[in-house]
Amino acid sequence: MRRFSSLAWRSLLARRLRSVLTIAGVGLGVAVLFASLTASATMDAAVDRAAADEMGHADLRVQTLEERGLSPEAVAAVKGVAGVAVAAPALERKTYLAADPNQTASSALPAPVTVLGIDPSVESQVHDMPLSAGRRLDDTDSLSAVVTQTLAAEQHLRIGDSITVNGSVKSGPQAFSVVGIVVGDGALPDAAGRLLFVPLASAATLFDATGVTRVDLTARPGVSADELSRQIEAAIKTEPYLLQKTADTADSLRAQTADYRGTLLLVVAVVLFAGAFLIFNTLSMTVTERAREVGLLRAAGTSRSQVMSFVLLQALVLGAVGSGVGVVAGVGLAALTLAWVSATGPVALSAPDIAPGSVALALLVGVVVTLAASLEPAWRAGRIPPIEALRRGPKGAVAGEARLRWLGLVFGVLALAAVVVWPRAAESSSASTSGGVAGTSGVGGPLMVYALLLFAVLLVPRVLGPLLRLTGIPFRVFRNEERLARSALARDSSRTALTAGAMVIGLAMVVALGAAALNVRQIGAHWLAETIPGTEVLTSIRPVSPTGAVRDQIAAIPGVKSVSPVGLFGVGLGNVRQEAAAIVGRDFASDGRLVFVTNGGDPASAFAALDAGGTVIVPESLATASNIRLGDTLDFTSGQTSTRLRVVGIVAHSIPGDSEEAILVGWSDAVGPFGATGADFFAVRYAAGQEAAARNLVDATALQYALQPENLDRVTGTVGDALDRVFKLLDALALIAVLIAGLGMVNTLSMSVFERAREIGVLRATGMSSRQVWAMVVIEAGSLGVAGALIGTLVGLFVGGLLVALSSGGFDVGFSPPWDSIALAAFFGVVISVTAAVYPAGIASRQSIVQALQHE
Amino acid sequence: MPSVPSPSEARSSGPAVPGRDGTILEAHNLIKTFRLGGRDVTVLHGVSLKVKRGEFVALMGPSGSGKSTLLQLLGGLDRPTSGEVILDGEVVSRLSEGEATRLRRDKTGFVFQFFNLIPLLDVYENVALPFTIAGVDPRRGEAAARIVDVLEMVDLVGCERNRPDQLSAGEQQRVALARALVCRPAILLADEPTGNLDYANSGQILDKLWRSCDERGQTIVLVTHDARAAAHADRVLVIGDGAIRDEIELGRRKEIDPRPLITRLAQLGL
Repeated sequence: MRRFSSLAWRSLLARRLRSVLTIAGVGLGVAVLFASLTASATMDAAVDRAAADEMGHADLRVQTLEERGLSPEAVAAVKGVAGVAVAAPALERKTYLAADPNQTASSALPAPVTVLGIDPSVESQVHDMPLSAGRRLDDTDSLSAVVTQTLAAEQHLRIGDSITVNGSVKSGPQAFSVVGIVVGDGALPDAAGRLLFVPLASAATLFDATGVTRVDLTARPGVSADELSRQIEAAIKTEPYLLQKTADTADSLRAQTADYRGTLLLVVAVVLFAGAFLIFNTLSMTVTERAREVGLLRAAGTSRSQVMSFVLLQALVLGAVGSGVGVVAGVGLAALTLAWVSATGPVALSAPDIAPGSVALALLVGVVVTLAASLEPAWRAGRIPPIEALRRGPKGAVAGEARLRWLGLVFGVLALAAVVVWPRAAESSSASTSGGVAGTSGVGGPLMVYALLLFAVLLVPRVLGPLLRLTGIPFRVFRNEERLARSALARDSSRTALTAGAMVIGLAMVVALGAAALNVRQIGAHWLAETIPGTEVLTSIRPVSPTGAVRDQIAAIPGVKSVSPVGLFGVGLGNVRQEAAAIVGRDFASDGRLVFVTNGGDPASAFAALDAGGTVIVPESLATASNIRLGDTLDFTSGQTSTRLRVVGIVAHSIPGDSEEAILVGWSDAVGPFGATGADFFAVRYAAGQEAAARNLVDATALQYALQPENLDRVTGTVGDALDRVFKLLDALALIAVLIAGLGMVNTLSMSVFERAREIGVLRATGMSSRQVWAMVVIEAGSLGVAGALIGTLVGLFVGGLLVALSSGGFDVGFSPPWDSIALAAFFGVVISVTAAVYPAGIASRQSIVQALQHE
Repeated sequence: MPSVPSPSEARSSGPAVPGRDGTILEAHNLIKTFRLGGRDVTVLHGVSLKVKRGEFVALMGPSGSGKSTLLQLLGGLDRPTSGEVILDGEVVSRLSEGEATRLRRDKTGFVFQFFNLIPLLDVYENVALPFTIAGVDPRRGEAAARIVDVLEMVDLVGCERNRPDQLSAGEQQRVALARALVCRPAILLADEPTGNLDYANSGQILDKLWRSCDERGQTIVLVTHDARAAAHADRVLVIGDGAIRDEIELGRRKEIDPRPLITRLAQLGL
């Protein structure tokens, strides 16, 4: 065995370039895998940390579902529950810092701040508040505040400084004295660091509020969170609320990244698949090239298993070294990945969280995939009969069929690995998405995509020949070189197809992701266009009266056709929180918004009934999930009573809430039983042709009332930009598959040049210049690159279509070719291919004619 | 793009039309040294020779005598360590890479022991290779006429669409010969062209070589260790240990009889 390990080692050293390229290919694949695992682990850790920070030592959180919050009676009832050790109420409101008199007028509002009113006497028992300066709030404080380090830095605040925040209309602005500065951003992800803590009583006065947003509870010793939940549910039956455990918070945050991680894993599988191509091709070439040597060994009495172990040993070395390199490179790639996505994710991400498990898994997968890819060449080497090997190499046709068998094997191994490591959160998540392909949240969709890619790769050998004639056309200016290049590609059609196959799946993923990204953007635009009665929205961080002066003043501006208030709030439906939106039905009717499904009611009468009250319009997704039919009556928990609303309409899509589509109620029900206090945004529709003239005045008026004007296209664009960022990362990772394919191409072309050495010598002797030889090899790669780009684009469009179908969410947005991605794929396909040819072309053109003619 | 001399122009040169002194190829004091495993090995020790236009010269010698190396230097495939090769008035050993390529394309034709055909090109395309390399359309005009002519000469008419793997070894070598002759090179250099062929096929190839020389005035330098092949030449240069050991003048004959040459070689101990 030692003899064979020495032989295997020498064989790798003898073909240094090929070994290095293969190690680089394996390394890139493992790097992407490791970066993906590390990014996922870091996201998980960040999510757990964020959830833990937010919940502190609390075992349970009682969260209000209504704008007015949990009443003092409800809070008292919670405190009185036997299992509760500590109950820490908090009031959370967003507001603005009082305007600086020296500040000049701007077209945009400043970022809001979040004020968190806490009970200083109990807060420290539930939440840690590590301070960088000053002290915590105490019972004696009234107009004191603790600010986050982030806010302190932004506002140049020090201990003893004053910070003034706007309150309700009734209370006006209020100054607080800064007594402490808490480390970092504070434990409230939504606040994005702009957070200040004030005493609960002061916050209630400031915002003219009687209720609290939530109560965080710690349980008495021996009382579990589940037991505490049961006690709370028994104690409070008069107000809608949501009970949240730390794990629920983490799951909720994790669900937002599940689609992204699912898509990432799909890309990883594709990159590894491309890596497997490279390994297989490399070892196949070695086996073919060393057939005689193997034959000699066989003739000398070496057994088949010994020959196989000789090949597998080489694979093991390549896989182990490549995986090690990959893990090291993966650390850097993970850092880049996290830096890139942290701007779009729901939680702040820190440095890569390198888990020993991820290192072990990446190394294991790297080695296993390498060995899986080498099984077939090893088996083939073992089957070389001594006499055949001494005469000539293995037959191409046999190798070709074997390659197809091998593809199936590697596909199976990778698919199995993907099923095993698929993010569990993804399966349980039905919500979309912080940037991924919604349809990839389950394992079925990606497997379909993967199978489609495999099918495409298997198809490549069938179509490549005719296609190469076509792709050679641009190179016809080099008539002779092009013809010879095409001949060279046809020499070992199986190897050529395998080389192109790796390129195809990488490029297909680039195009497919581009199609999916475009589709997600279109869905966003369609969703808003279908459900918002206007082209501009004026958003407020605090509810604004739906019928007050603000609306009237904007509606009176010449050129404004309608101003429709929309309020978002939570309601309890069968003990489940459901997002709701208050709308003016006649505005939607006159604007032709919302699409009613078949048997979903008559729009005109439904909107009229909504304005009249006692009715509700539900989105189809909820109707289907909860088996709700037109005419049903739904029981909502609201305030201290139950409210029954009749379903008067079922619509294809409704106004998007934070995580789901909202049910729609009229304003009379919203401000009545549900206690909504105002509109969160106004949708503005302009009269035809008058938007340009009226817009400036509308925006200026909105800003006066602290409403942020946003064009709908811009809203779509902002969401789309965040998604684009994520898709660009996935694109970049998919391009690594193309890069690996490029390394494979270097190997293939080098082998091709090696095999044709004597032929090239004859061409040179016949008068072909070294430049022509160089061009011939580069054209060979260029043709292959163009062919790969063509097939990759077609396959990518199919895969993109599949992804779009899986994630369209019922929107019939059609399928638009992602021209940017197609151009990117074509560019990289050709550029990487041609670049890959530079080295082998150099060898071919520089080799001595005499030596080439003597080559065996 | 090189000019393609018309067939009539080429044929009018006729058999053995000498220049001033009739010499087309000269070598002066050629020395070739290779570096092998850290030591210098001199393969040719000051070889000088002359070949007249239309002459058929054979280089004979045992394996390792340096005859193939000499042929490579004569054809501009390699450069001598010292000395000069002058082909049709051009000092081959002083040409730049580009000029040497042009010289090979325009003035030399090579035939090797291994046929070295492009497997995926058919017979016609393989023969047409020198034209396509030069950027001349081989399906039109003069080039097409020459290809037909040379295919007739090597008896491969009707096989134009066949690929190399559909041909016998002898036929493949005839394709290689046609490829070397199609541009009507100033000199044809053949390195053991029958080394991989059986008796009958060897005979056919040698016959074609001789006929191209006799009927078309093609200058040929043939490297061989086979006396029967060398017997087709007008003159035989015997190489040994990197130098010309003997010169055997056979003259142009209608009937090729190898026996006088074999006898002479035997006298030389070969």
